[in-house]
Amino acid sequence: MSDATVNDAAKTTESTTSEPLGETYLDKFPAEAKVVRSALYSSFLALALGGLFGVIQTLHRTDFLRIMESETYYTVLTAHGVFLVIAFTIFFLVGVFTWAVTTSLDREVEDIRFTWAWLGTMTAGAAMAAAAILAGFTDSLDMSADVLFTFYAPMQAHPLFYLGLTVFVVGTWMAGADWFRSWFAWKKENPGERIPLPTFMVLTTMIMWYVATLGVATAILAFLLPWSLGLIDSVNPTLTRTLFWFFGHPVVYFWLMPAYMMWYVLLPKLSGGKLFSDPLARVVFVLFLLLSTPVGIHHQYLDPGISEGFKFIAMTNTMFLLLPSLLTAFTVVASMEHGARQRGGTGRIGWLKALPWRDPVFAGMALAGLMFAAGGFSGMINAGMNINYLVHNTLWVPGHFHLTVGTAVALTFMAASYWFIPQLTGKKLWNRPVALVQVVLWFVGMTFMANAMHRAGLLGMPRRTAEPQYDGFEYEAGVGSVAELDAQIALGGIILTLSLVLFFAVIIGTVLGSRSDEVPANGYADTLSGPEDSPKILDNLKLWFGLAVVLVIIAYTFPLLSIIERGGLFGPDITAFPQSIDIVSMAWLTVEQYATDTFTSATEVAQATIDGVLR
Amino acid sequence: MSSATEQNQADQGAGGPQLDHPVREIGHDEYDPIGTLTLIMLYFLLLAFLWVFMYFVEFLGNDPTVIGWIGTGVGMA
Repeated sequence: MSDATVNDAAKTTESTTSEPLGETYLDKFPAEAKVVRSALYSSFLALALGGLFGVIQTLHRTDFLRIMESETYYTVLTAHGVFLVIAFTIFFLVGVFTWAVTTSLDREVEDIRFTWAWLGTMTAGAAMAAAAILAGFTDSLDMSADVLFTFYAPMQAHPLFYLGLTVFVVGTWMAGADWFRSWFAWKKENPGERIPLPTFMVLTTMIMWYVATLGVATAILAFLLPWSLGLIDSVNPTLTRTLFWFFGHPVVYFWLMPAYMMWYVLLPKLSGGKLFSDPLARVVFVLFLLLSTPVGIHHQYLDPGISEGFKFIAMTNTMFLLLPSLLTAFTVVASMEHGARQRGGTGRIGWLKALPWRDPVFAGMALAGLMFAAGGFSGMINAGMNINYLVHNTLWVPGHFHLTVGTAVALTFMAASYWFIPQLTGKKLWNRPVALVQVVLWFVGMTFMANAMHRAGLLGMPRRTAEPQYDGFEYEAGVGSVAELDAQIALGGIILTLSLVLFFAVIIGTVLGSRSDEVPANGYADTLSGPEDSPKILDNLKLWFGLAVVLVIIAYTFPLLSIIERGGLFGPDITAFPQSIDIVSMAWLTVEQYATDTFTSATEVAQATIDGVLR
Repeated sequence: MSSATEQNQADQGAGGPQLDHPVREIGHDEYDPIGTLTLIMLYFLLLAFLWVFMYFVEFLGNDPTVIGWIGTGVGMA
């Protein structure tokens, strides 16, 4: 693989960056740059809204500032979840993936109108879902979607919410088709060549996404949407939950894969070195494709109606899933070390000092990786069936995913934005010191918040609760106090909000700046061990797709059949929430029940009397 | 994949490890990621310690917190 940054006329400038200057992405692909820019701006808008709702709920939960009724908490929580983990992450992903495919195949998209069409579809879907969620803030509209990111039945959202999610996912399917189309066209012109690593990462991730989204598409199209439209009376909650988690676990890798891609293809370059091993990176992405989906049941360890045996299989698969993350830790750190040693670093630990910690792009990604290592530990606790029981549905779990998606992914994306926005606008980053302070603040804020959340979870403090304080009950904190934990969570939330404000200051400052020729050249890391060192079978996407499907069939057929057999396809007759209660019919039902009970007991008394008399 | 180690004389001495760009090129064959091994061993030791700690406190101690005094957690007090 040749380093696309290598430019004959490249020159470096120590005042801005160690990377060579040269042709930016905007220079090379002006039309695509516009699409990527739009995708990133959409993701930033979602980040701003999601972050705002985040601080509101943090201060509400910890009882520092309550500006809303607790009933509204779930509207805020749904908005925080959906805007951040669906809109922010996936809009960013499609931007980065478009960059990756066009840059590494060195070709424009096949038809830019189609590219705009999928971005438009995704935007329309996101707007529909957002409208349904935000309508929950007003009583003047008979519309709400306070169902949280997981939209478990019997909680029911307005049909617009489900429809919006569907349209959004269809947009991502079209995006995947666009990237596959580019690859097919490239393959025709370059027969027998290895798939460039960034494109390989995009394609494997998208195959995983196609398999995974079948679960959520079935849950929504066959059950939840018809149910919210009144076409069917009831759903089987265990079935829709299981279908949700069929998608819900791989979606975490959908967030993570673009962050991994940044760690593999940008971080080594920023460190001043090369990617340690291209084959190992390919193995990691293949393993994620194979193992991401058949593990979803590990989110349901405490769900009744799924046998322990199926849960045990899901746990075993989950433990295997640790492997690609640990391989990544090795490859990425080894690549960083290569950079550090090339920059003159020495010693077993001392080389860390030689890394470019003053570069916000590098520092943000490296700190994000460090947080991911901590998240790895709490993830291992979550993954164990027996230990999971201790932390299930407690604040430990939000503590865990604020380390993973909230930092490993979000901080990597923010740091990467400091590299991407100059690429996409041709403008120099507005203020590197502020950007550096921003990424460090995120790390510090999340240290406070996530650590306190983990500890609070160990005390048994529940998640998804507006007022986690109860009369006549006190949590026993071994060290510190609940007040201290709340203070840390609130402090963390405020630092994170400050960090977000700085992020937007840097982005807006950069976008409003003027064109500069001091922007690093577009490109990605070269490799120490390239694709020529890896077996060709790794590029056999059909094989990996087939195996992924087989594993999903093995892991899910029996649990799904068993759930349907037990609860029926449309479940026991469940009642949707929220619902309007008809007082008259409720009163009639009560009278009817009372009359029946009285009649039954009277009959029993009469029967007993008759029996007595007869004796 | 180059195995040559090239020292960039021009860059040497201009700030040592604080330099913003490479001072030498290290090829595939000379590179020994000993620092990575050190960090990964530290991480594994930490994981192993936390795992053992969790086992004692959460199961043998039957106490739903790891943040009390260890002795209480493992039933020694």
